[in-house]
Amino acid sequence: MFGWLQKNPELYAEILTFNQVALPSADTPARECRYLVLDLELTGLNAKQDHIVSIGWLPIVEQHIRLSEARHYLIEAPVSVGQSAIYHGLHDSDLKDAQELADVLQFLLKQYPGYIFVAHHCRLDRAFLQIAFQRHFGKAPRMLFLDTLNIEYHRLQKLGSRLATDALRLPQCLARHHLPVSAQHHALEDAYGCALLFLSQLKKSHSAITLGDLQLHSR
Amino acid sequence: MEVAEVSKFLAHTTPFDQLAEGQLADLAAALNVYYCQAGETVDNSTENLLIVRTGIYALYSDQQQLLTKLEEGDFYGYQLLLTGLADNDQLICEEDGLLFWLPATAFHQMRYQYKNIDIFFQRLFGRRLHQYKEQQGSRFTLKVSDIAQARKIAIHGEQTVQAAAQLMTEKRVSSLLIEQDERLIGILTDRDLRSRVLADNLPAATPVKEVMTPKPQTIDKHAYLFEAVQLMSRFNVHHLPVMDQGISYGMITTTDVIRSQQDHPVYLIGEIHRQTSIDGLEHCSMQINNLALILGKQQVPAYEAGHIITTITDALTQRLIKLAQIEFGPAPCVFSWLCFGSQARMDQSINADQDNALLLEKEPSGEIGEYFAKLADFVCQGLARCGITLCPGNIMASNPELRMSLKGWSGKFARWISSPTPDAILKSSIFFDMRVVEGSKGLFNALQHDILARTNQSLFLLQLAQTALQRTAPLSFLKNFILEHDGKHKKGLDLKKRGISLITDIVRVYALANGIQEVNTRQRLERLAADGIMETKDTQNLSDAFDILAQLRWDKHLHDISQGHEASNLLDPAVLSGLQRHQLKDSFAVINGAQSSMKHRYCREM
Repeated sequence: MFGWLQKNPELYAEILTFNQVALPSADTPARECRYLVLDLELTGLNAKQDHIVSIGWLPIVEQHIRLSEARHYLIEAPVSVGQSAIYHGLHDSDLKDAQELADVLQFLLKQYPGYIFVAHHCRLDRAFLQIAFQRHFGKAPRMLFLDTLNIEYHRLQKLGSRLATDALRLPQCLARHHLPVSAQHHALEDAYGCALLFLSQLKKSHSAITLGDLQLHSR
Repeated sequence: MEVAEVSKFLAHTTPFDQLAEGQLADLAAALNVYYCQAGETVDNSTENLLIVRTGIYALYSDQQQLLTKLEEGDFYGYQLLLTGLADNDQLICEEDGLLFWLPATAFHQMRYQYKNIDIFFQRLFGRRLHQYKEQQGSRFTLKVSDIAQARKIAIHGEQTVQAAAQLMTEKRVSSLLIEQDERLIGILTDRDLRSRVLADNLPAATPVKEVMTPKPQTIDKHAYLFEAVQLMSRFNVHHLPVMDQGISYGMITTTDVIRSQQDHPVYLIGEIHRQTSIDGLEHCSMQINNLALILGKQQVPAYEAGHIITTITDALTQRLIKLAQIEFGPAPCVFSWLCFGSQARMDQSINADQDNALLLEKEPSGEIGEYFAKLADFVCQGLARCGITLCPGNIMASNPELRMSLKGWSGKFARWISSPTPDAILKSSIFFDMRVVEGSKGLFNALQHDILARTNQSLFLLQLAQTALQRTAPLSFLKNFILEHDGKHKKGLDLKKRGISLITDIVRVYALANGIQEVNTRQRLERLAADGIMETKDTQNLSDAFDILAQLRWDKHLHDISQGHEASNLLDPAVLSGLQRHQLKDSFAVINGAQSSMKHRYCREM
């Protein structure tokens, strides 16, 4: 591990710089925070074995999604995308414009310190990102994640709704919020859907809801 | 990088459907997305083009009038972007949805790049000016190009102020356009020469560039005249360069604007006060219909128009009284010329008849009586010649029963109030809306004070309220309009008898019950709300309903007179748009509600 550090001290320093920017405290009104909504497409569900195929993200500032900062990156595959290709509609041949994961992550660290990360069913995305950071940077940054799936679950529980199977999948959530449903399994389209859902969830909760409340609801 | 969901939507939305894929992607990437919740007021103060993605948004004018509802693919904010003029409209979200905001820079860039998109928004803006009323018939609004002289008098910025002064003298103008490389860089006015050259003792060889007003406000040739007026008053300037596709075309000055507004009420009223004969007044009054049409073109709302029409009737009355005094000599005692009904309420329409009377300091006997009989006759007949027809009910100062001393009037009102037979109330309710037009205000105040001290009598209020309940809004049980004949006209809705009057009647009951001095219906409602007598929600609803009905009647009258007909209150609901029909039904429902509240409050068994 130390040998790696000596090889990539610059990357390691990026993590430290990112961590230096304070995150908003738990009592900050949630509507005032900055968010980066992201989605990953993966070759499988095992963070240790499988790989990130693509990343999409868009920031939310003052409750506005900034499409000018929407990004979508195909990630260079260390091995063939293989069997999961059908699943996310990508083939090896599509990946020739792909970026190196480390470059993409470096850009993310540079652009979005102080942002809260948001994803739908964030556990998987977070696990993959953490392992990727470990591998390429020697350390995972301090990232705060909110989960629109769990927030939705919490919201529906509170309303006393009975939940059908699939009720918490992103398309079903979007339909429930009367939001446009976009193509599935494309990292940026899904991140956009997740961002819309999150904006709606923010509006549907009481106006003084804090970041801490949303963290609780994200569990 | 574009979000396909967004660019797909834009690709299906006019006018962006003309853009190629790459251009759509650029547009999509410039947007900010916002989720709006029902009840939220959309912040429309920023320079952004709003594109409705989903949801429903109601647009209200500053008169709280519903202009339109915005839905998927609709736009807002282009007026501010195109003209720099904010409106006072309010955009309220009615159903949750997504809004796209396109920042000003991106909007303008697109507009300059794609002529068709520019034209689309210019047209949209043009239509919006008319959105105020969707209307039948042809009515145009004056544009800058209608009055700006197509005469461009310009000088190069490097020329001397002396050359500029010579050019201005030669061309007999008070201002010059200053150009350099065919671009407008400033303007120079008489005043600049005086205050920046002469007063500062600058040499005649000073270049114009150094003393001009750089980067002046400008107006597009195709803009509406009222926009020019707004710009002039907003920036306190008297000269506006007129531009045609970014190139200077001419100059428009406040004098040009004033000249074009000769039929403006201010001029007509000034004109009236200069007349020395009834013939002259009659001639002035022939401009009233024309003035009404111009007010219509200038989108003046009905209540303001009603106020203006009333002011003109007042002016005619005042001038006739003066002329009578010139003819018959000064009045032998102090008097107040009273008006009643709509003139008193300042919401007169163009088909109103006379309702007036005289309040005298002394008893009208002997010479005093004779003098005021002559004066009243002179004025009433004069008004009739000016198009304000004689009152069929003989509520006029020319009627000897309506020329009385304070004691006489006070006794008359006291009898109406203390023994309120239905018949007496029906005849007298009009007198309770009263205002002084000419003569002594003190005398009038004494009478009004005396009346208001008596009106809070439950039997009187009961009768007054019951009279106000005799007519109902023309809405059937199934919420359909009930049409009626009025003899000579076709079937229709009588906007006055079955609408406006019902509201003034209701409001009068409340005002008299509470000793409120205001006579104007809107002002009465404001007082009733301020004094906590009626719920603010209710007074606002009534006020809105009143505005809607008055606006429909005003539009109807304008339509009638523009067709050369007499103004009629009878409206055929078939000519209404869906929105207007909806508003009208709402207004009638408000009247029904207000009538039953009033019944509950003032018509309980005694």
